[in-house]
Amino acid sequence: MILSRVADALYWMGRYLERAENITRLLLVTEEMASEVVGLDEPLARGEWNELRTIFPGPDTAEEQVPRALRALAQATLYELAIDPLHPYSIFFSLKKARDNARTVREALTIEVFVTLNETYRELEGYTRRQIADGPGFRSALAATQRGIFATAGAIEQTLARDPGWLFLELGEEIERVFRTAVVLRLKLPALLSPAPTVDLPLFHSRWRALLRGLSSLENYRKVHGARMEAEDALRFLLFDPHTPRSLRFGTAAVKDLLERISGGRDLSLPARVIGRLAADIAYQGQDLLGDGKSLDFLDHVLGELGRVHDTLSTAYFGT
Amino acid sequence: MNWETATSGYDEVFDGADHRPRPHYAPLISILESFTRENLERRERLQKLALMNQGITFTVYGEKEGLERIFPFDFVPRIIPASEWKTVQDGLVQRITTLNLFLLDVYHEQRCLKDGVIPADLVLSRKEYKRELLGLTPPKKVFTHVVGTDLIRSETGEYLVLEDNCRCPSGVSYVLENRTLLNRVFPEFFASYPVRTVKEYPTLLLNTLLLVAPRPSQSPVVVVLSPGIHNSAYFEHSFLAREMGVPLVEGRDLLVEGNHVFMRRTHSKQQVDVIYRRIDDDFLDPLTFRRDSMLGVPGLVNVYREGNVALANAPGAGVADDKAVYAFMPELIKYYLGEEPLLAQVPTHVGLRRDDFRYMTEHLGDLVVKTTGDAGGYGMLMGPFSTKKERESYLAVMKRNPGNYIAQPLVHFSSHPTHVNGRFEPRRIDLRPFILNGDRIRVLPGGLTRVALRPGSYVVNSSQGGGSKDTWVLAPREP
Repeated sequence: MILSRVADALYWMGRYLERAENITRLLLVTEEMASEVVGLDEPLARGEWNELRTIFPGPDTAEEQVPRALRALAQATLYELAIDPLHPYSIFFSLKKARDNARTVREALTIEVFVTLNETYRELEGYTRRQIADGPGFRSALAATQRGIFATAGAIEQTLARDPGWLFLELGEEIERVFRTAVVLRLKLPALLSPAPTVDLPLFHSRWRALLRGLSSLENYRKVHGARMEAEDALRFLLFDPHTPRSLRFGTAAVKDLLERISGGRDLSLPARVIGRLAADIAYQGQDLLGDGKSLDFLDHVLGELGRVHDTLSTAYFGT
Repeated sequence: MNWETATSGYDEVFDGADHRPRPHYAPLISILESFTRENLERRERLQKLALMNQGITFTVYGEKEGLERIFPFDFVPRIIPASEWKTVQDGLVQRITTLNLFLLDVYHEQRCLKDGVIPADLVLSRKEYKRELLGLTPPKKVFTHVVGTDLIRSETGEYLVLEDNCRCPSGVSYVLENRTLLNRVFPEFFASYPVRTVKEYPTLLLNTLLLVAPRPSQSPVVVVLSPGIHNSAYFEHSFLAREMGVPLVEGRDLLVEGNHVFMRRTHSKQQVDVIYRRIDDDFLDPLTFRRDSMLGVPGLVNVYREGNVALANAPGAGVADDKAVYAFMPELIKYYLGEEPLLAQVPTHVGLRRDDFRYMTEHLGDLVVKTTGDAGGYGMLMGPFSTKKERESYLAVMKRNPGNYIAQPLVHFSSHPTHVNGRFEPRRIDLRPFILNGDRIRVLPGGLTRVALRPGSYVVNSSQGGGSKDTWVLAPREP
């Protein structure tokens, strides 16, 4: 057992670390997709950027603040989501929060974990708006940050004792991960499930591939389905595949497992029961949920239940 | 290589008219001379990077919130031969013994006040004297579990006590980290010296704390209590908790129930036996001391009074390191131990005494004036370096409360070669050894050497532009 305050800080450290990686990955994927299709289908490129802005909303979402010109839109989004210190969903902000939380509980971490995280943060801190505005510069900066986050996750895996502190850190990571998957799917699916009859098929497949890549699942999908891209297969994969770490099924099962271990053989806590029901729904009734429009309603339900898990954690464990 | 030597005060390294290195520094100087300038600079860069990446930082007050700085580190180590250290160590043991006897006395019979060894009103008027704790005996009669005593060296090289820190002396984490860092960046320094280890400190500290646990048989729970991440010494609080393997807690993590102290944990409460608190007395318990304290634990002092929790250092111990009480230490040592002080100290004028205060007001330009309650170099006037205007306004404030001030002549304390801008230049240094008071009094063989990085400066405090050095205490050579 650990201090409630420490559990709380580790949970948020896990969430912010995972969030930083999610933003990094989705930025990299979006930038690549948008710059590739800009000549072919400019509205699509603009749509990609705007969707990303919805997934990671800034403090000021007023319509007139969003740049009209595509290039300006891309550059503003890159800057805001990468290094803007005031944007609540910038990589910088998230890493800073992860590090701030780590600093308050350094005694609960190993030196390796703290130093790797701190180095990653400090490297990103060194980038300027100008470096980010330049395509290759941006890619190398973000790739370095992503490697740093992976190294931190590696240090956690390699050096932390599997004690209750580790469980809360992992819980934060898993909740953030599955939540972000659900948000991305909820936002991207409407367009991807009912394409216009005149759709350019190769481009349509590119968008599915980008979605899979945005959820680190393209290679895993290919291992199961090969290079054949079918919307329904891809959707099923992202929702129900039991092995890919960013599917809803995998994520809810992971959260359930962690919350059961945190309950430690006592009566299951309220968040453990909420996630238990949700994970069971996904694992056993999944196939029934795919009819017309049902998947979107289901995603709304998933998002609501994940929110409940998060809210009930505070009263169950953090004493807040 | 160009070595500049000290123009005033004792030079720690170079001796006599021909400026030859003292024998214990000769090997180090020749190793340093074997480095090229580029190589030194490269090593220095590595060292700074290591400090930043490891987050070995402190917070500066009064600047923008959350500003982290690294504590500048100078790689030229300070070396103390075994024979010199023996004097320091014996003197410190004598001093800490006296401080504890003094504390026990002023909170009980007050013999030293009745016998006129120290003026009663001087002791009883200190805000660090906690009359709420009168008659209370801390476990094992230990008031000061951890003391950091600041030493300087006179112009002849004699060690002088500048002040004792009996409340929450900080800096020991840098003692340990400086050793690790120096060994990483300049491993070749260590080959020719029998340097005594400082890495035992966390074990010794934990043993010291366990010794005063009220339930010694039931694997006592020790915690480090910190004001939180915004405190300037937060790194150290976290470091010590990590090194000792005990929880780091803040006031809000603790609660008092049924006259025991508990930690709030995820599934249940856990009783706490020993609190190594790094919070000042005033903030410890809003029910006993400052009511507005958000950092403390309501009811903690009552539990302490009942003997159900041990606090290190004991509340009320701060009166012993008061700068005015310091002036009477030589008399107190003789009074309690019947011994002559082994370590000399700086002559001190006490504002509370009318004659002393008159002398202070008349010689302000020659004196270093300090307020009795403050630490960290805050509220101080360096007379010889002050302007007339500064002295006048300081004097006006002083006159409102003379008892709050003490004054000392400026000691031209010792200098040590320090690497600044690619050159080795003399900079003034002091020394803070750490003393633990457990089954017996132990002095950690090492200490924090602080260095005034500005040329000519006498101010070594980290909050005022000071840095630090690794401090080597050498083992006696086999005969």
